[in-house]
Amino acid sequence: MEQQIKDLRERAGDAIKNSATLKELDEVRVKFLGKKGELTGLLRGMSKLSAEERPIVGKIVNEARSELETLIAEKNSELKASELQAKLASEKIDVTLPGRRVHEGHFHPLTLTLNRVKEIFVSMGYSVEEGPEVETDYYNFEALNLPKDHPARDMQDSFYITEDILLRTQTSPVQARTMERHKDNEPIRMIAPGRVYRRDDYDASHSPMFTQVEGLVIDKGISFADLKGTLEDFSKKIFGEKTKIRLRPSFFPFTEPSAEVDVSCVMCHGAGCRVCQGTGWLEILGAGMVHPDVLKMSGYDPDKVSGFAFGMGIERIAMLTYGLDDMRLLYDNDVRFLKQF
Amino acid sequence: MQVSTKWLKDYIDIDLTADELAEKFTLAGIPVENVIHASEGLEKVVTGRIEELKAHPDSDHLLICQMNIGEENLVQIITGASNVAEGQIVPVALVGANLPCGKKISKGKMRGVASNGMLCSADELNIEGDSSGIYILPEDTPVGVPAAEVLGLDDDILEFELTANRGDCFSVIGLVRELAVLTKKTPRFPEIKFDEDDERNAEDLVKIGIDAPDLCGRFSSRVLTNVKLAPSPDWMVKRLEGAGMRAINNVVDVTNFVMLEMGQPLHAYDYDKVTWHQLTARRAVEGEPLHTLDDTNRLAKGGELVIADAEKAAGLAGIMGGFESEITEATKTVILEAASFNSASIRRTSRAVGIHSEASGRFERGTNINGTVVALDRVAQLLQEMGACSVCKGVVDVYPNPKPEIKIKFTPAQINQRLGTNYSDKEIIDVLEALGFKIEPLGVVDELTDDVVDKFATATKNIGKAAREIGKKSNVESFMKNFGASIGELFKNTDAKAQDEVIKNSGVEGFMKNISETFGGIAKSVEIKISSAYEATVPDWRNDVKLPDDLSEEVARIYGFDNIPSTLPKGNQQGRQSATQNFIDKIKNILSGLGMCEELSFAFTSEAMFDKMRIPADSELRRAVPIMNPLTDEAPLLRTTLLASIFENAARNFSRKNEDVRLFDVAPVFIPKNLPVTELPLEKQQVVGLLMGRREPKGWSQNPAQIDFYDAKGIVEEFLAGLSINNYFVEAGEHYALHPGKTAVFKKGRDILVMVGEVHPAVAEALGIKKKIYVFEADVETLQKFAAKKFSLESLPKYPSISRDLAILVEHDTAAGDVEKIIVKSGGKFFKGVTLFDVYTGERIPADKKSLAFALEFRSNERTLTDEEADEAFKNILAAVEKDFGATLRS
Repeated sequence: MEQQIKDLRERAGDAIKNSATLKELDEVRVKFLGKKGELTGLLRGMSKLSAEERPIVGKIVNEARSELETLIAEKNSELKASELQAKLASEKIDVTLPGRRVHEGHFHPLTLTLNRVKEIFVSMGYSVEEGPEVETDYYNFEALNLPKDHPARDMQDSFYITEDILLRTQTSPVQARTMERHKDNEPIRMIAPGRVYRRDDYDASHSPMFTQVEGLVIDKGISFADLKGTLEDFSKKIFGEKTKIRLRPSFFPFTEPSAEVDVSCVMCHGAGCRVCQGTGWLEILGAGMVHPDVLKMSGYDPDKVSGFAFGMGIERIAMLTYGLDDMRLLYDNDVRFLKQF
Repeated sequence: MQVSTKWLKDYIDIDLTADELAEKFTLAGIPVENVIHASEGLEKVVTGRIEELKAHPDSDHLLICQMNIGEENLVQIITGASNVAEGQIVPVALVGANLPCGKKISKGKMRGVASNGMLCSADELNIEGDSSGIYILPEDTPVGVPAAEVLGLDDDILEFELTANRGDCFSVIGLVRELAVLTKKTPRFPEIKFDEDDERNAEDLVKIGIDAPDLCGRFSSRVLTNVKLAPSPDWMVKRLEGAGMRAINNVVDVTNFVMLEMGQPLHAYDYDKVTWHQLTARRAVEGEPLHTLDDTNRLAKGGELVIADAEKAAGLAGIMGGFESEITEATKTVILEAASFNSASIRRTSRAVGIHSEASGRFERGTNINGTVVALDRVAQLLQEMGACSVCKGVVDVYPNPKPEIKIKFTPAQINQRLGTNYSDKEIIDVLEALGFKIEPLGVVDELTDDVVDKFATATKNIGKAAREIGKKSNVESFMKNFGASIGELFKNTDAKAQDEVIKNSGVEGFMKNISETFGGIAKSVEIKISSAYEATVPDWRNDVKLPDDLSEEVARIYGFDNIPSTLPKGNQQGRQSATQNFIDKIKNILSGLGMCEELSFAFTSEAMFDKMRIPADSELRRAVPIMNPLTDEAPLLRTTLLASIFENAARNFSRKNEDVRLFDVAPVFIPKNLPVTELPLEKQQVVGLLMGRREPKGWSQNPAQIDFYDAKGIVEEFLAGLSINNYFVEAGEHYALHPGKTAVFKKGRDILVMVGEVHPAVAEALGIKKKIYVFEADVETLQKFAAKKFSLESLPKYPSISRDLAILVEHDTAAGDVEKIIVKSGGKFFKGVTLFDVYTGERIPADKKSLAFALEFRSNERTLTDEEADEAFKNILAAVEKDFGATLRS
């Protein structure tokens, strides 16, 4: 009997070892360890043994069973691993094929730029104000110290709807409207982004419609130095820490003193290049201390408070930020352009 | 305004280059737009004499010249010109020259003979003159000097782009005045002296009148006799040319020269052509003929200012003189006019007649009304010096309301406050005086402002408080003694050291120190407020300075904006966007997240676009705001719908072969309240979207199908879900530009949330798009009205749900949406949702039917639902659709 068990163990061991697939292995398991398997058969024959022999043989059989079970388990995981490997090998695909895409959406580059500008000023405590695009002559010009026949009106050729109604040429009318909404010389910190319209031919650097951001700060003791510091801060945030600004005296009827503001060229950092036409500077905005007449017209007392205002073109900033050389790209809305942002 | 640097240097000694001057002017608020270097390219061109001329041995048209260029050796140069002769002096470009015409001169050989330069023609030097041959210089020209010098090109031109407020800089003297302040040099302005050598009095010869004193503030006149018309001397021609004006004859040139020099436009009339020798500034009568210098006949609109003689208008005041009284060879006697005209009136007339002259430009910006007579004198002087006239005695000067001096009270503190600077009184006054302001000290003014009073009140309160504290710890006598004595001492002594002594000796050291600090602090802050006050008298050439704020600009620009510190406004405010602005940002976020690109479109549209969009003549959409002066006929209206602009962008993309286009826009449309427009139109923010092309981007494993209506509708559904707008219903809609069978409206009650549809094939064809296009349009305000204000969480189910599929046959025309509505209505309390998952028409069912398959979901929130309960609900739903639509269960 013991010999029989030993033979069986050897045969079973070989069979397990030679199994090439999980299926073969299972057949081996059934053949030897199954309900009708050989080892089970041997166990059944034990009844013929004497009471003394039975525990000894039983022990041997159980040992054989557990040994074979271990072997099968080992073989099983070995076969499983190789089968998985074979399966994985057969599943290999060309990973260089392009992935499945969806249509992507994009913000317009002007919106991206405007959002950045808004973010900067909102973080500095400015509220975002709005006003109508079709404006009265009063708000667009007169409330800004530009009476009829003022030569500075020539700077802005306007689209007129009637003698007294026009497409706003600047976002500055929102200043006057916002001031009128406030009382008792209340402090104001606001920006007014929006579309403005001028009767300019449509070319690489002009458009009959474009986007401006106007800024206005009114409070006790606001100075030109505050304006300079604010614009310096803004320019560094939008164009980078190394940006310098330069203020040139200028003339706007609604500010006194007035300045045109240049930033050091974003391309060459002041060395001189094609973008800045060799000057090292780029003009990006106009600014100044709010003219006392403008404060008065909108109900503020220039003896008690002072303020500064500035205005910038968002197209210009977007063109500099993204290196665009033709303004029309922004309005053509060619999807090949829009999808790059 | 343009001026040569040489002219500036006639009046001031400066050794700055033109570029340095340009920078200085620009940074002081007198912008130089451009610097023209006239001598550019002439650096290696000198004058040379042709010493010897020989024919070239191998050519019948080339000549070998031996040139004397002022050096020891002659230079051999070959020329092909035929107008040269020995002894002539000509411009010679030497080796290395880089001429304005683009030619570069190098050593070379022509047909075997060495040539070391080139003789130049006018063209090659970029100057005026006969270009058929070499430019021959006058015989007395020195040899070997730079050609630029003898050609008068050794000068640089500054082109100014003057701002509207600085009329005073529209003159050489005005610019020099600024330059003198900027460089701290003393200018030398011309001394004006001449003889009134004609015994007759001007006022006996001419009559001057002003009938419109609001438009003509002053009219001054001189009479010049024995006028001899001749060409102007060279120096004057050069100055005029440098300023961009052409020389004509001495009389005209001198009036122009003085205008450029002093900024006062002048006009010369032929005395004998002025009827009754009388000139009057008056308003033109409507229809009055105006025959101007340019020999154009105009009819007056009426109201424009003219200078008229006894019979007729003899010129448009300040803009252009009259034809009849123009100076000619025959002119013997001249009436000179120097006047001051209202700038707004000049500007209006100049725009109306389309003439923008040097004179009108100056009057528009404003001239110095007190500068008329000196300008007349200067003309008299210059013409007399040229021997071109005699000068009659006196000036006829009509100046009804002499301009009062402008005086501005200011304190340096005020200026420093506005600028954020800390200039001393002296620094501020120095600048203003240098600029011609007369400064009178007004002594110390103590402006007791609220601020100061507040500070003193607080301080007093604190002293009281401290006194009480001390009082608790001492007896009356010692308290009074110490306190009284110390305060008294304190007020006697303003000097800090003495105050310290008092405090030390007082025995209540800490207390007194506090008082001293408080008062000292206030005194310091008050010091600013009670600084000296001054009165500035504005020089009469400055029309732009009226307020202390204007003075602050003068100080800032002369010391330089660079020298102003950078600070930030004090105090904090909360920045924010409005709810609508945030909502629009959200709309843009959602739509770009749904694969759409934001476009940016113009607000203009046209009738032609409305035609393309099939909008009927009587539609509200045609009631658009018209622009009086559109840029082109293609864009004369303001859009009433964003579809107009998005269609244009789609068409442009299609024509550029961009096939997959998904665009959106959020922008206003303009709805007139009345036509013709009398008040501001309504501006309504709208959202528009457009889709065309493939369902998925082109790719090897992508769905290649073109999108259809349901793709567009799906985007709209996702869009509304993103905005938290629920419980809307959808029904068939109508729009002129859309397919009548493929248009849907999303509604809440009577409000339309979104309209979506396929673009009408006729519209697509009119747009030139050979593709199906889908669009949607919505009104931002309506969307915002229905967007959920608060977030409400729907909790996850605790119990499992039961699904049942309902497949029914209905009439082909039955709307699935209607069926769904009935399902929802009849679903019962356990009904949780319905999804239409299949729609079928075809062979397996009757031709007039369609099959709709809905997945129904039932669930209880309290317990696990039984199959029986689900079946019950299902039966009710089935019964309802059978009843309402004659539906049959599909087997």
